[in-house]
Amino acid sequence: MRLGSAKYLFGEGVKNVWVNRLMTIASVGVLTACMVLIGLALLISFNVDKALGNLEQQNVVMVYFNDKNSVLYGDSAPILAEGETFDAKNITDSQFLVHNKEEALSIVNEIKGMDNVADATYVSKEEALESVKKTMLEGKEQYFEFLDEDGGNPLSDGARVKLSDMATFNETVEKIKAVSGVSTVQSQGELADVINSIKSGVGMAGVWIVLILLVISLVIVSNTIRVTMYNRKLEISIMKAVGATDGFIRVPFVVEGVAIGIISAIFAETLVYFCYRIATDTIMGSLGTSTIVSFSSKALLLLGVFVAIGVFAGVFGSIVMISKYLKKEGSEFSAI
Amino acid sequence: MDLNVQQNNKGPIIEFAGVSKTYNSGTHALADVNIRISKGEFVFVVGSSGAGKSTFMKLIMREEKANSGQIKVNGFDLTKMPRKQIPMLRRTMGIVFQDFRLIPNMNVFDNVAFAMRVVGKPSRIIRKEVSKALSMVGLGHKARSMPNQLSGGEQQRVGLARALVNSPDLIIADEPTGNVDPNMSYEIVSLLSAINAKGTTILMVTHDHNLVRDFKHRVIMLDGGRIVADNAGGFEQ
Repeated sequence: MRLGSAKYLFGEGVKNVWVNRLMTIASVGVLTACMVLIGLALLISFNVDKALGNLEQQNVVMVYFNDKNSVLYGDSAPILAEGETFDAKNITDSQFLVHNKEEALSIVNEIKGMDNVADATYVSKEEALESVKKTMLEGKEQYFEFLDEDGGNPLSDGARVKLSDMATFNETVEKIKAVSGVSTVQSQGELADVINSIKSGVGMAGVWIVLILLVISLVIVSNTIRVTMYNRKLEISIMKAVGATDGFIRVPFVVEGVAIGIISAIFAETLVYFCYRIATDTIMGSLGTSTIVSFSSKALLLLGVFVAIGVFAGVFGSIVMISKYLKKEGSEFSAI
Repeated sequence: MDLNVQQNNKGPIIEFAGVSKTYNSGTHALADVNIRISKGEFVFVVGSSGAGKSTFMKLIMREEKANSGQIKVNGFDLTKMPRKQIPMLRRTMGIVFQDFRLIPNMNVFDNVAFAMRVVGKPSRIIRKEVSKALSMVGLGHKARSMPNQLSGGEQQRVGLARALVNSPDLIIADEPTGNVDPNMSYEIVSLLSAINAKGTTILMVTHDHNLVRDFKHRVIMLDGGRIVADNAGGFEQ
């Protein structure tokens, strides 16, 4: 195509936007509204993801080993030979599995090597006791002095295990439980389930919102192009009569559709910025949380999504609509 | 089969061989039409309403497709031609409409230039050729006027300039005098005759028997979808 023709066609498309300004304003309004809703749905989804990510990071599984204390005070049953009986005062080494720090560390390493385990650190029963004292017994130490006596610490050696993906949380916990030497695992399986269901729920809702709004956007742009086509049916019939190709006739309409899409994208970006700013100012003011996704970090992505939606709706909507009319000939245009 | 074929030394520009057209509604518009129009001829097509004149023209412009037979226009075989070649066929012809079909928000110059712009001609050529075409129809001084500032006859002359501007081999005029007064009708046909004298083939549909009688050109008469008369020397009643 010649540069002169390209300029002419582009100019015609842009001119249509102005000539049909009432319809353009209506289309830009509705398309912008759709894009704003899509943008806000995306930002909500980003925030839910970030919040869940924070929860995931904080989610640590405590693993306790099958040591002497786990048999004496914990849930582990003693390992008994045929005919042997359990005597708590004279517990033997063969009645539990983890006897020293080396054996504990080898279990920690085994857990570390598992899929979905981000990190695993050894926690001795002494460290565990210090932690309990700091968090649960502060100010009441005088009542629990017996814990410091020799053999007074009832806690077991264990490991703090951080998981990387909540989606396979329960499967990973079951694998850890199955490791030889592991007595119990303290986990928040319900939390993992809740996180997973929120994640998939938000994901599904997002997909549906975007799909429905995309269809609405397409219908809106198609209708605008239809009105333009109706207004220009005389020109189109003459174009066809003098030998303009379908592509030539189509270009101004596609340009018009794309222009409407891009104008809407710019409006949507601006509106989403202000809506999000008001919403985040309110939330941060009342909750004081700083875990909200910043608009600037997603601004380009959102603009890209809006422009993509606008261009797609413009191109697709106009091509679909005009293809219907391009098959018409001469007098058939008067009947439109 | 070649009952109505005209003998002419020049090559054919339009050839119909055994052409029939029946619409989906069941209307038989044309039946076994055989005709040959040579390059450089001026042909009137006459007939009462429903005789098949419009269908005849639509088949030539490839607005409609024949059910049977063969049509050749300007070297294009219209019965085999794919849809995407239709624009190329139409670039070889200029069309004049009864209702002028001028774009109301474009001035005279732009209305004529439109026919060149949409086929991708460069601006330099457009300026030159549009001025030439407007001078030819005697409207060089009205280039900046809007269509609603012109009389019916002037509007039709703009339509004629638009049909001429791409230098087509064939001009199809569908009742070009239908919406203008009798004096202007003579002027329009005189213009078409002048264009024809320079070698362009003219095919004109009309109801105006006086015009056909006064301008001694070939006359094809249609009735009930068939050619009932084909007179080289003018109208005979």
